[in-house]
Amino acid sequence: MKGKFISAAVAAIFCVTLAVSAAAEEINAYMGTSPENNARIVNFIKEKTGITVNQSFESFGEIEARVKAEAPNFGADMIIGCGSSTGFMAKKNGWAVPYPSPAWRGVPKVFLDPQGNWYNIGNFSFVLVGNKDRLARAGLTMPKSWQDLLDPKWKGEIVMPSPLSSGTANMIRFSFLALYGDDKGWKFLEALDKNIHHYTRSGNAPTDLVGKGEFILGITSDENVKKRIDDGYPLLWSIPIEGTGYDGTFVLILKGTEKLEACKQIVDLLGSPEFSVIMAEIGYMTPRPAENKLYAKTQPNYITYGMTLPHYIKLDLGKAAEDKQKNNGIWKAKLRSTFE
Amino acid sequence: MAPAELSLKLKAGSGNRVKDFLNANLVNILAALLFFLLALFLLYPIIAVLVKSIRGPSGFTLEYYRTFFAKNYYYRSLFNTLLLGAINTVVCLVIGFCLAYMTTRGPYPLRKPLKVISLVPLIAPPYLFALSLIILFGRNGLVTRMFDLHWQLYGFAGVVISQTLAFIPLAYMMLENTLMSLNPNLEESAYDMGASEATILRTITIPLMAPGLLKAALLIFVMTIAEFGNAAILAGRTPFLAPDTYTMITGESDFNMGSVLSVVLIAPCIIIFFVHNYLLEGKKFTTIGGKPVASEPRKITPVIKVPLIIVTTAATGAILICFAVVLAASFYKILGVTDKFILANYLDFTSNQAIANSIRVSFIAAAIGAVIGVLLAYVIVRGKFFGRSFIEMASLSGFALPGTVLGIGYLLAFSAEPLKLTGGIMILALNCVFRFLAVGVEAGISKLHQINIEIEEASADLGASFLTTFYRIVLPIMFPAFIAGFIYTFMTAIVSLSAVVFLVSPGFQLAAVKIFDAAVYGEIGIASATTIKLILIVMLCLAVLNYVTKKTRLGSGLKQPVA
Repeated sequence: MKGKFISAAVAAIFCVTLAVSAAAEEINAYMGTSPENNARIVNFIKEKTGITVNQSFESFGEIEARVKAEAPNFGADMIIGCGSSTGFMAKKNGWAVPYPSPAWRGVPKVFLDPQGNWYNIGNFSFVLVGNKDRLARAGLTMPKSWQDLLDPKWKGEIVMPSPLSSGTANMIRFSFLALYGDDKGWKFLEALDKNIHHYTRSGNAPTDLVGKGEFILGITSDENVKKRIDDGYPLLWSIPIEGTGYDGTFVLILKGTEKLEACKQIVDLLGSPEFSVIMAEIGYMTPRPAENKLYAKTQPNYITYGMTLPHYIKLDLGKAAEDKQKNNGIWKAKLRSTFE
Repeated sequence: MAPAELSLKLKAGSGNRVKDFLNANLVNILAALLFFLLALFLLYPIIAVLVKSIRGPSGFTLEYYRTFFAKNYYYRSLFNTLLLGAINTVVCLVIGFCLAYMTTRGPYPLRKPLKVISLVPLIAPPYLFALSLIILFGRNGLVTRMFDLHWQLYGFAGVVISQTLAFIPLAYMMLENTLMSLNPNLEESAYDMGASEATILRTITIPLMAPGLLKAALLIFVMTIAEFGNAAILAGRTPFLAPDTYTMITGESDFNMGSVLSVVLIAPCIIIFFVHNYLLEGKKFTTIGGKPVASEPRKITPVIKVPLIIVTTAATGAILICFAVVLAASFYKILGVTDKFILANYLDFTSNQAIANSIRVSFIAAAIGAVIGVLLAYVIVRGKFFGRSFIEMASLSGFALPGTVLGIGYLLAFSAEPLKLTGGIMILALNCVFRFLAVGVEAGISKLHQINIEIEEASADLGASFLTTFYRIVLPIMFPAFIAGFIYTFMTAIVSLSAVVFLVSPGFQLAAVKIFDAAVYGEIGIASATTIKLILIVMLCLAVLNYVTKKTRLGSGLKQPVA
């Protein structure tokens, strides 16, 4: 009798939960921008095309790991927002469905693959953030150069993400390696390591930790710095004189999708000037000209990488993707051996 | 006419034969079925992890283990993990014991409130304490600033403190259960004969609790070393195996090294599991005199009383403060930075969906888990077949399997055809079922040991079929075990992060993962609000469950003999 009651209850709840899932046009996507920005993109797609995007929030690093693990049977139809290394890897291994979208014609080369394996909906960079209050209390000012971070006075007061788990950190690493060259670049990272308190899992975590005043300085993704300042964190941010690097936010259609048409429709939509406006408002450097809210002071409306302010370090994203695994090995060998 | 009659007879005969066969062998058939399930969903994933750890792209190799043992870093990681497990286990047991002692033997008015406070954190994801600790005791925390303290929260100490707070409820729950089922008569007679409380504790209570203490120790040890949330947030540069494994899999997608780390994580658990089994051998005290009995409060000597009061006050105080922080944080955009009171965190729709998903998964897991648990217990106690003790070991080994390992195992085992389960809800539910199965099985076994097999034999002799006997006699007796398995699976499944984090798919987020992501992302308001909502909903679920249990037990308990 009791058994019957319980099983009836189980059955009832099971049926109700199953019945809720309705049948509209839906796709699954791995999305690596922040949860809020993911939601913004999902809403935009829903509003313009009626397609529902089911998404999971994961970091760039996690998306890459997932795609590598799942290949060639992917658990999603497309990726909206992954690092360039994932994009190049997918192209090399034939995991992406090439689609030369007419809607993307006329954007600069850095934003699309010639064969249409991937598209880049916005470049993001890394910036230096500092806690206003803690700086004032300690009588310190924001460093002007990345080299200033090596000063022992910052010992234990700097946080940055770990390139083993974060795409932002991978970008930071390949940017410094490109800026100083491999040899000097690693020397710089090793010297910096002496002042780093610890490496965080997520690329945005330093913004938050520095905002709370847990640490004075952070090297962090520029993704939600502006939002955190608007929220009320006493944050300062700057780009030291040597400049900053960048990485793309790549979009690609995964092999094996049964919803190719919907995916193509989304790729087309993401190439529209309207979408660039949304991304630029968040702070991304976009494929189509749009006023960038984060870099408005230093930026004209449009940029060419490596030429205009803020100064961008000259990068080869393809090479960076090739070197990633090797550099992870070097990173562990050089930076993990020290214990405190 | 004659042939028809004959065939009818034959039919009846063969029908009886099938029935007899079923009656005689149903236990074995059931056992075979359960064994198949255990093999598929518990052993196979673990074997998949083992294989992955010794199999590279070009055949079998021990290279990955060589890498592990060549690196000082990993030794350090292993050492830290084991030390954390040991410290946590001891501290949690001491605190859990004090709390449980107070709620079962202490003054009446304190029992209920203490119990609620000790249990509530069970519903909160363990790493939540890491967040509260940062807000209070971080380098720029409220308390740190107020007293101008200079301590280091990020590191080993921080992880130990947050893990301890997180696992107090589990220790409490296990020990309270043990204390409740100890018949207080022994203690009371000792007291009446003039033994001091200290003597009673030392010579009666604690020795009788030994099996329960051991079991709790094992469970806490395994769960602490597998939980990676606190370490991921608070460890700083101190390496621990669980977060390292997580990064190895999700950050570097190095499944081989990830599997090696998992195997290293399993090894101490399995060793402790066997030690615990060995110690318990022949120590099955039958003090369970029917129903749990509440004990009368007695006069407690100051020698016992003072430490008891200090420990319980400190522990409940710490829990309450942490929860106050979470509650406060849920109403602010960012606690301590902007002071505007808002409700937006509660209106976040995406987290509602995640909570609904969590409840759904946990409910399905709990229902399946409780049924399988009860059946397994029956088969283990009553079955007489080859491999019975193996089934027992396998089903209880869930105690000793870190969630991380089973998570990776499921990912490896069920991500390709023909056993493709990834991306669905069932993989999450099944994972929880088999990880938390041990509790239901344990409870079932101990219930079954209470009833003599003669009752079932009598029923069979009177002509009842196997199913009738099972339904009429065995099930009612095992109902509490069913409920225990159900509640435990439900509660632990809802907050567990270590395994499901590998298995969630786009469009199907779980609350625990959602809260962790929000927390790591610095969205403390949303993380806190989601937690509070989760706690309220789970408490509601438990209240309903409690009500239903009581109703059905009362309603049918009397009718049973008549029907």
